[in-house]
Parts: sequence; structure tokens; C-alpha cells
Amino acid sequence: MFNESALFSRRTALKSASVGFGYLAFAGLSTMAAEKENLLAPKPTHFPARAKHVIFLCMEGAPSHVDTFDYKPKLKQDHGKTMTDTRSRSAKLLGSPWNFQQHGQSGMWMSELFPELSNHTDDLCMLHGMHTDVPAHPQAILRLHTGVSQFKRPSLGAWAFYGLGTENENLPGFVTISPPRNNGGPSNYGSAFLPAICQGTPITMGNPRLAAAGRRGQSSPSGIVGNIKNPQQSPDYQRLQLDYIQSINKKTLQLEEQNNEVEGAIESLELAFRMQSELPELMELSSETQATQSMYGIGEEATNNFGRQCLLARRFVEAGVRFVEVTSGQWDHHRNLQQDLTNKTESIDKPIAGLLADLKQRDLLKDTLVIWSGEFGRTPYAQGDDGRDHNHRGFTSWMAGGGTKGGYSHGATDDYGSEAVEGRVHIHDWHATILHLLGLDHERLTYRYAGRDMRLTDVKGNVVKEIMA
Amino acid sequence: MRDLISKPIICVAMLTACAGVQQELKAEETLSPEQSQFFENKIRPVLIKQCYSCHSVQENEREGGLTLDTREGIRSGGEQGPAVVPGNHSQSLLLKAIRYSDSKLKMPPDGKLSADQIADFEKWVAMGAPDPRDGEGGAKVQYEIDIKEGRKFWAFQPPTAVELPQVRIQDWPRTEIDYFLLAKMEANGFDPVADCEPNILARRLYFDLVGLPPAPEKLAQFEKDYANNAQAAVASLVDELLQSQGFGERWGRHWLDVARYAESSGNASNFAFPHAWRYRDWVIEAFMNDMPYDQFVRAQLAGDLLPAQNETEQAANLIATGFLAIGPKSLNERNRQQFQMDVVDEQIDTTFQAFQALTVACARCHDHRFDPIPQTDYYALAGIFRSTETCYGTIRSVQSNHPSPLLVLPADANVPAGVASLDTSRRAVLERQIEIQREQLAELSGPDSNIRRIFYQSRVSQLTGELNSYDEQGTPKLRAMGVREGLRTDDCPLYIRGEIEQPGQMVKRGFPQVLTDKQPSIGRYDSGRMELAEWIASPENPLTARVMVNRVWLHLMGRGLVTTVDNFGASGQRPSHPELLDHLAISFVENDWSVKQLIRSIVLSRAYQLSSRMDPENYRQDPDNVYVWRMPKRRLEAEALRDTLLALGQNLDVDFPEGSLVAQQGEGNVSFRIRGDLAAGDVHRSVFLPIVRDEIPEILSIFDFPDPSLIIGERSSTTIPEQSLFLMNSEFVIRQAAGMSAHLISKYSTESDRVNYAYRMCYSRLPEPSEMRNATLFLYVYGKEHNETATWAAFCQALFASAEFSLR
Repeated sequence: MFNESALFSRRTALKSASVGFGYLAFAGLSTMAAEKENLLAPKPTHFPARAKHVIFLCMEGAPSHVDTFDYKPKLKQDHGKTMTDTRSRSAKLLGSPWNFQQHGQSGMWMSELFPELSNHTDDLCMLHGMHTDVPAHPQAILRLHTGVSQFKRPSLGAWAFYGLGTENENLPGFVTISPPRNNGGPSNYGSAFLPAICQGTPITMGNPRLAAAGRRGQSSPSGIVGNIKNPQQSPDYQRLQLDYIQSINKKTLQLEEQNNEVEGAIESLELAFRMQSELPELMELSSETQATQSMYGIGEEATNNFGRQCLLARRFVEAGVRFVEVTSGQWDHHRNLQQDLTNKTESIDKPIAGLLADLKQRDLLKDTLVIWSGEFGRTPYAQGDDGRDHNHRGFTSWMAGGGTKGGYSHGATDDYGSEAVEGRVHIHDWHATILHLLGLDHERLTYRYAGRDMRLTDVKGNVVKEIMA
Repeated sequence: MRDLISKPIICVAMLTACAGVQQELKAEETLSPEQSQFFENKIRPVLIKQCYSCHSVQENEREGGLTLDTREGIRSGGEQGPAVVPGNHSQSLLLKAIRYSDSKLKMPPDGKLSADQIADFEKWVAMGAPDPRDGEGGAKVQYEIDIKEGRKFWAFQPPTAVELPQVRIQDWPRTEIDYFLLAKMEANGFDPVADCEPNILARRLYFDLVGLPPAPEKLAQFEKDYANNAQAAVASLVDELLQSQGFGERWGRHWLDVARYAESSGNASNFAFPHAWRYRDWVIEAFMNDMPYDQFVRAQLAGDLLPAQNETEQAANLIATGFLAIGPKSLNERNRQQFQMDVVDEQIDTTFQAFQALTVACARCHDHRFDPIPQTDYYALAGIFRSTETCYGTIRSVQSNHPSPLLVLPADANVPAGVASLDTSRRAVLERQIEIQREQLAELSGPDSNIRRIFYQSRVSQLTGELNSYDEQGTPKLRAMGVREGLRTDDCPLYIRGEIEQPGQMVKRGFPQVLTDKQPSIGRYDSGRMELAEWIASPENPLTARVMVNRVWLHLMGRGLVTTVDNFGASGQRPSHPELLDHLAISFVENDWSVKQLIRSIVLSRAYQLSSRMDPENYRQDPDNVYVWRMPKRRLEAEALRDTLLALGQNLDVDFPEGSLVAQQGEGNVSFRIRGDLAAGDVHRSVFLPIVRDEIPEILSIFDFPDPSLIIGERSSTTIPEQSLFLMNSEFVIRQAAGMSAHLISKYSTESDRVNYAYRMCYSRLPEPSEMRNATLFLYVYGKEHNETATWAAFCQALFASAEFSLR
């Protein structure tokens, strides 16, 4: 009953046994290879790109700008004075408890909280005029990532990957390391209506709390690392099995037209299969020299976690991942500002300085755009006597590399840092600028959905040309 | 100060647009000569002398946000409210302050005014507080939330019944729901697609109602019955599924998402809640027994105060209040009062998001930004919860500063113990260990003795905790998490900017004003929780029924009528079908709040039974299927996926397990106590897996299990390579594939019989000829170098990893 020659396209399937069986044998699979490549293939940019990759250092919880990068001598001078404002009808101004100094040739001001990063001011491009719409974390975090908070929309990283395609088919185009689980969680790295393959692949690096305490986390790997290798099957047979799976999926796709879940699963399976070959090695940070690890603060208690995340980010970028996001949480310092902000900045200072230095020494900084931002900033007035409230009207984010001007400061807040008054950059402008640096016109990077050509910046967004080198 | 002043007005404008908040500005005032004279002689000099040094725009002194050197300033007041309300003595805080009648508000602080001066101020207020002083007040923008205006918002209006709408295609609607949906489709130019095939409908019903696929034999029976009398067959299957234990497990889990159920405290120091599982079981049983939803609400908020027929019922009512106790807690917080207010905040947040889809907790530090919920409404609720004692257990230890008692369940309640008895040898070990640690404590000395003392104390605490959870005979004591009335029941002050160091005026306990104009009268020794429970569970509450029917609709139809299922406020979305939402809410209440009746009415609708088929024209206009013109297939949730894998692997244990793996681990810090993946060897249904905050079992977390520290009415659905890798490579999936392979081999001898049966098991359908050929080819090639069992296991795993497997 079984006729071998009728089922195989000549002898191809058996001949290719040593290198995989080839999908041509299964009915319905013939067109898949071509389609898949179309989606992931590198695409031409709208104009010459300054940056090819992005590392987004996302500071979830909204760090204080007036204690870090936005120097406000008048605030210190008027410390203790009463100030009025809608949110808290009156409150005392809180001068930054930290000292600021000028650094580098540019003479950029930076607080003493960043002893390491301040050695890199000539590579930094400060955006002091940032502002956003809502002073609430969930909405603002979503806006930072997707431009809106009312609807599910693709993340910045998904748009970047969609616009540029991949440089390495064996890895996801958008990776998010230890993403936040609240404040919208996966919506912050989702693809929404874009093809599912564009969504961020979360990489968890063990429970930070446990890893910090030297317990577990590493010893019982789970998730991607845990399942990266099949304990029984050879790659050839797994490929055969996968081809068979895809033949079933192809059928399902015929039955369920326009089902994003099915299309997503097809792509995800292929990517997962390919990742097995490269990811384990890529995640192996111990292959880096001791000197490199030390640069990132790996091995020191305060900086170990974020250092590992930053180093992993560099390795992903080096391997061709388009967009890598690294999250540092718990910046919401309503109370205990002096202690908690000291701890938080210490945890990122050396790792970020190490990342910038490492990118530079590998000549990667010129086409890697590093961006640092929280979802908003904090008030110049005190909450209690040692805390700051949310402030969406003015805050600072910065960029480095990727064709931005080093040692440059754009925009300003008022004398106290309460509101952006010059060089104002809204989240939409910030998105437009990032896409621009990647060679993408935010008005032309569209995807047709629900009868509209959707954009990351909706109908808004102005590119901040001043910051381009 | 430039620009600080003008900006807030924009915020206010936004608020006005959003939620009916109005800005009040005072117009110029003309005084009669007598009034003018009185003010200039009696009032102004006192204000200048006694008050301006701390409350003046001119001097830029705004203590408490209050300025008294302008008319606007004195009338709009400071953080605690208006200083002077013309003609109203009791509401004029300035009078209260100068009379020194309130110990927390005495002004001027250096000494009381003379009796004459006080009388002058009283007279002045009675005159209408005539005041010639123009100029801007202290708080530059004084907005007030207009409750009356706020009540006009759709969600705060009671649901209204409407007639069934007229439709053109008369023979399409099967139930009332269909009339509403079809009318809207017709009005917008959509045609519904065809009905779905019976096997697909059976699959849909099984997954939606019990979270498992139909066995091939059940499927065949249903297809036969359907051919005979389609809707009778559907109704009978629905009734059968609604009666099953699986229904409670499936739908109980939906509620546990909302109730942020977990078995540890989470946050920075993560301590076990070994008694949390009782609440989980109570929820499952409540759904299984179709407990009326109003009763379900009352029990969770105030079960401890409800009458009970017997001890069993009393125990169940106590356990139900676990809802208020299982939330995340920062046990390492040092300040006791801060800890208490954080617990209260978490309870307000959960209660209002879960039952009312309102983010009331936003008003902790300031008036709500979008909804007409002033900060005082928050503290009116805070008083209720602060007058409640929350019993969550935990032990005192490093990083755990706030252990609480647990609720004691009645001895004759007939509830399971959850853990094994303590045998005498274990008791001896515990007692000996405690003794040793105590001895070492006693001998401590030296420079680092403090650190070691803490260590030994924690050990003693841990061991004593274990010992104390048994009675003399070694029988586990019956304890539950939950709440009871506090020893002190009182109103709560408004905390300015949410800071416990800054109490403002006391706020009378009550409910958010925008939702009701009837405030409760709360007894002297009552918290007010019973009144709150009654009010939320009342048919008069505009939100309770709507919010619940919307949650149920989401789980069945894939998209809420209000898509922001946990937020019906101004920043949420408006309903796509407001009339239908109200119709469902009203019917829900009329049917004695029966969740099963509600579910039944939805799944018997024609809309629910539509095909997933594509219609390009409809899709172009409505890709999100807002109009419900088809029933797109959706991904299974983590639990349904895992349960299905276990079931097909012939490994699922459908029995209701007693207790929880966390309970067996006992009290303590979970990062010390719970090692490895607790869930790895468990084969019960997924709802019974241990849910330790930040330690979610792998299979659940990879497949979008929600963070149990948050209230999540709708889960995300991601497609990421991590999931594919799990299906391709994990030991768990490989084990289930082997189980199914053995089953296929023993059940059928021919290849085609096996493939057919496997397709029915996994996809609830038969393979098409081309699929059969592909299967044959795969088995042939794979079988060249693998034995029969391995080959069929690889085949089964391929089916598991396919997209269709996880679609319902």
C-alpha cells in the first residue's frame, strides 16, 4: 500500500538524510521557504542609516532627572521653599542632595551618582526637554514603548525589526532582557498587528533576587536556556519532525485564514529551531575575558545583574540582533530617595560605562544607538522629606553612538526641572528620531491595519535633527 | 516660578473633558459700606497679624497649601479644604481652627485668639464672609470634582432595559443575544459567516467550559446527536459540562486571575502563605455549585460577618475572605503604620478593580486623574479596611516584620487538613532542634553576635511555626487566611499626598460618591465591611453585574464588550454593544446572579456557534471582530494546554488534590524553603499547581500566565520561540508524547487507525487525505532509524507542537 517512489520527489529526501530531509517531501510545504525569507530579509532603509542596532536601557519606575543628569543650581538654592502645583497643592522644593560636576571636553554636568558614566560624557547626547502625557506608570511605560496606552500597538523594537529585517536569521530580531512583568507586561514588547515574528523575545536571566543572594537561578535553568537542546533527538531528525509539523501548520493556515496565531507559530518554530545552534554559545558569558567582565562590573554584588544584562546585550548586537532592550526596574522613589537612588544608580553606573567603552573598543558604537530613558521624571519638590513624585512635564533621557552628537545637550527644563521649556521632545518625537537614526522615515514606516496605514508615531512626531552628528 | 503656574490649567482642562470636573473661579465681589467696614476693622487686621506670616501669596508662604491674603485663597482653602465657606459655620475650617476645638487643627499655633475675635470671625462668616481682596489665591488652580456631573458617565448610570432590536434576517437569531448582535451587524453592513461544524463546536465547548478537549468517543456521540437534533444536542452537552468538576476548575481559575491568587507574599521578601489554597478550593467549589454571584461577592468581602447554618458553612464563609488576605505584601517594611496602609491600599485596589472595574486606588495620593473619585472617597474606603484585621499568617524572621494571626476554622467544619499529621519522631526532632538553637542563642557573644542572633532567632521562629501548626496529638490545626473586624473601628484621616506622616481631616467611612447617593450608617463597633459587601452585591450597584457579565463574555467570545475588562472608568474603553451589556447585566440579576445560566445563555447563542471562517470584506473593515461576525480560533491558556498534554499523555490525575505543595513546605521564606520546580512531577490539573509569587511553574510562565501580584482580567497571548522550544525539547512534552504513543499503539494496530485517532484526540477532526499522506511519509522516514514507540512518540509530539493543537 505504501509506494515510496510516489511520495518522494525522486531520491531527494533520502539522499539528504545526512543534512536534514528537505521539506519538499511534504505536501504543502513547497512555498514556505521563500515566504519566510521575505519577511526576515534585510530591507532597504528609506535613507542612509546612521545606526544599525539599538540597545534600549529602559529605566522602569521613572528615575529622578534632577538628581542625575539635569543640573539645577536654583533648585538647590531655593531648597525648602514652598511651591504650588496641581498635584500636591503645595510642597517644599527639594534641592538635590548630590553634588554635580562638569565632565569631559564638553563640560557636561552630571551628578556624583555616576562616577563611571561621567567619564563618557563626550559620547553622550542629553535630551533635557523630554515630556510625556500621563504621570502614571502603566500608561507612561506603554507610551514609551508603543506610543499609546489605550490600544495594543507594536513596540518600538517590533517596528524597528519590521522596518529593517534581520542580520542573523538564527536569532530573534528583537530581544528583551528581563522585561518588566507589570505595567502592561508583554504589551511593551508585543507586535500587535505586525507579524508575530516581530515581537520581542524575552530572555530571563534567573531571578535577580536569588542570583544576587548566590542561590539557584543559574543551577536550574529554565525557559529558553533550559529547553534549548532536545535530550534525545538528533538535529536532522528534529528538522524532519519540524518539517512535518510545518506541513500540518500549512494545512491549518488554509483552514484558518488570517489567523495571526498560526502564522506566528510557524515563524516561531523555525526561529526556535535555528536558535538552538547559536543561542547557547551566545548566552555563555564566561567566554568573555575577565577584563571584559570586570568592565561591566560582573562579579561585584551591586552591579553583577545589570552588568550581565548589558554584556549580553552587546553580544546580541554583535551577533546581529536589531533591537535589544535591557530593563532596570524599581526607580519609583517616592520615599527613601537618598538611599534607594544611590543603590539604583550604583547598580547601573559601571555596567553602562562598561557597555559604552566595550562598544567603542570594538568599533560597534558608531552604528549602535544606545538609548537610556525612564517613562517620565520626578518632581523637584519633595514627597515626604526624602522622596519625589511623578513628573511627566519634563525629564531627561540620553542617547549615545549611532550617529548622535557626543558631548551634546539638547533642550532644557525650567530652573527647577519641573517642566521642559526648551527643545521639547515628546515621546512621539523621540520615537521619530530613533527611527530616523535607523534610516527609517517614521511617516513612511507603516502597516495597513483596520483600513488605516498605522504608524508608530500615529499622526505626530518631529525628528530632532539637532542631535544628529 | 515662571511657567509653573500656567501649566496645571491644561491638566484641569483635560480633566474637565474626561470626567466632568469643573473649575471654579471666583468673580469680583462688591461690598456694602457696612460689610467693608466690618471686614477692615475686625477681620483684616487679625488676619495680617496672626495669619499672613504662614499663609500669604504675597509672602510666598503657603503652609498646608493655604493662603489667607486673597478672597480666592481663603475660600478655596488648602489641602484640607476651604478655610471659609460663606454662611456656613460648620464647613468653615478657619472657624474650627481658631476655636481650638479639634486637637489636630489649632490656629494660630502660638495662642488662641480672644473670644471677641473668634466671635467676629463667626459673625463675618454668617454675613457671607464679604471680602474685597482680589487676586489669585494660594492654590493656583482649585478644581473640584463635580460628582453630579460625573454620575452622567455611562458606567455610573444604572443598566437600562431595552426592547429586543429589530433585525432583517428574521430566521438567524437563536437567542436574545443574537438580536442585539445581528442588529448591529446589519446596521454596519456585516453578514455573519456560517455556523461551525459540530466537531469544532464540541471542541470549543469542551475547552471553554472545562478546559480539556473532548475524547474521540464523546466527540462521536455528540456528532451523532447533533445530526439528530442540533440544538438539543448542544444544550444537553452544555448542561453536562456545566455539571462537571472540570467546570469549577476552569472557571475558578478565571476568577483566581482577577483575585491575584498566590501562595506567597511576593515583593522584596517572599514568605509562604501555606493556607492560601483553601481560598483557591473555595472559589472552584463556588463556581462548581453555581453560587449566586452576589453571594460570591458578599462572602469574599464579609464572609466572617455572614450568618451560617452550620460549622461547614461558617468555615467556608471565613475561607472566602481569603480574597482580602492573599494579596502581595511588603513584609520587610519597617514602619508598621506604612505597612498597614499599604495592605489597605492593596485591598481597596483589588476590591474595586475586581468587582467594579474601577481604579479607585489611584486616589490615594490625590484626586483621581480621570474619574470623579476625590481623594476623600479613597479614605472613606480606607477607614473600612483599616477597621478590619487582615489575617495572613507568616512568621517573624529576617525581612519579615509583620506576622499576623490566622483565622481559626471551627473544629466540626469537616474541612481537609491539607497536610499530614505530625508523627512523634518528627515532633521530637523539631523540639530538639529548637532546643539546640536556643542554647546557641544563649551562648552568643562576640563582635558579630547580632547577625548570628538574627539567624538563630529566625530558625527558632521557623521551627516553632512548624510545631505550632499542630495540636497536642499532632493533628494539623485548621487555619485559614482571611479577615475579621478590627479591635479598633474608626474613620481614617485623609493622608496628604498619601503620606502617613501627614494626616489631614478625618473622612467618614463610606462609598465612592459617584456610584451612590446613599452613604451607609456604620455601627460604632463595625468596620463597615458588611455594608460595603451588601452595597457592591446589590442590584442597585451600576457596575457589579456589568463587570461580571463582561468578564464572562470575554472568556467565551474572546473580546470583552468593554475591552478594558478591569477598567470601566473614563480612561477605559466604551462598550461596543452598550444595550447588550445592559441586557446581559439585567438578566444576570434576574436569574438570581447565576453564572451558569449566564454562560449557558451565551454559548447557546448563534453567534457563539459561528464558524471561524474568514470573510475578506468583513475583515478589511473589522479585523478585530468587534461586530462578532465570526468566531476566530484562539490560543489555549497555559492551564488548558498543560492539562490537555497530560490528558493525551494518559497522565492526568483529575482528582481534586488535598492542600497544596506550598502547604506541605510550610511557613518561611520561599527562596530558602522552596527549591527547584515544585510543579515538575505534579500531574493534577494546572489550577492546583503551586503558585508562589515570582516562582511560577515554567510551563505556566512561558505560556502567558499572569503575574499573580496584579489583577488581570484578560491575559496576554504571546507567540515566542521560548514556547516552541518548550514544545520541541522539554522533558514534560516528551513524556506526554511517549504516553500518547503507547496508548495509540495499544489501542490500534494499523497506521491509519492510529493517525485518525490521534487527529481526533489532538484536533477533534480527521486528517484530510493529503495530511494522511504526510503522516505516513513522516512515520516511514522517521521509522527507518527509530523503533515503533519512538517513532509514534515523535509523531505525537509533532501534533502537540503544531499550531492547531493549541487552538480552540
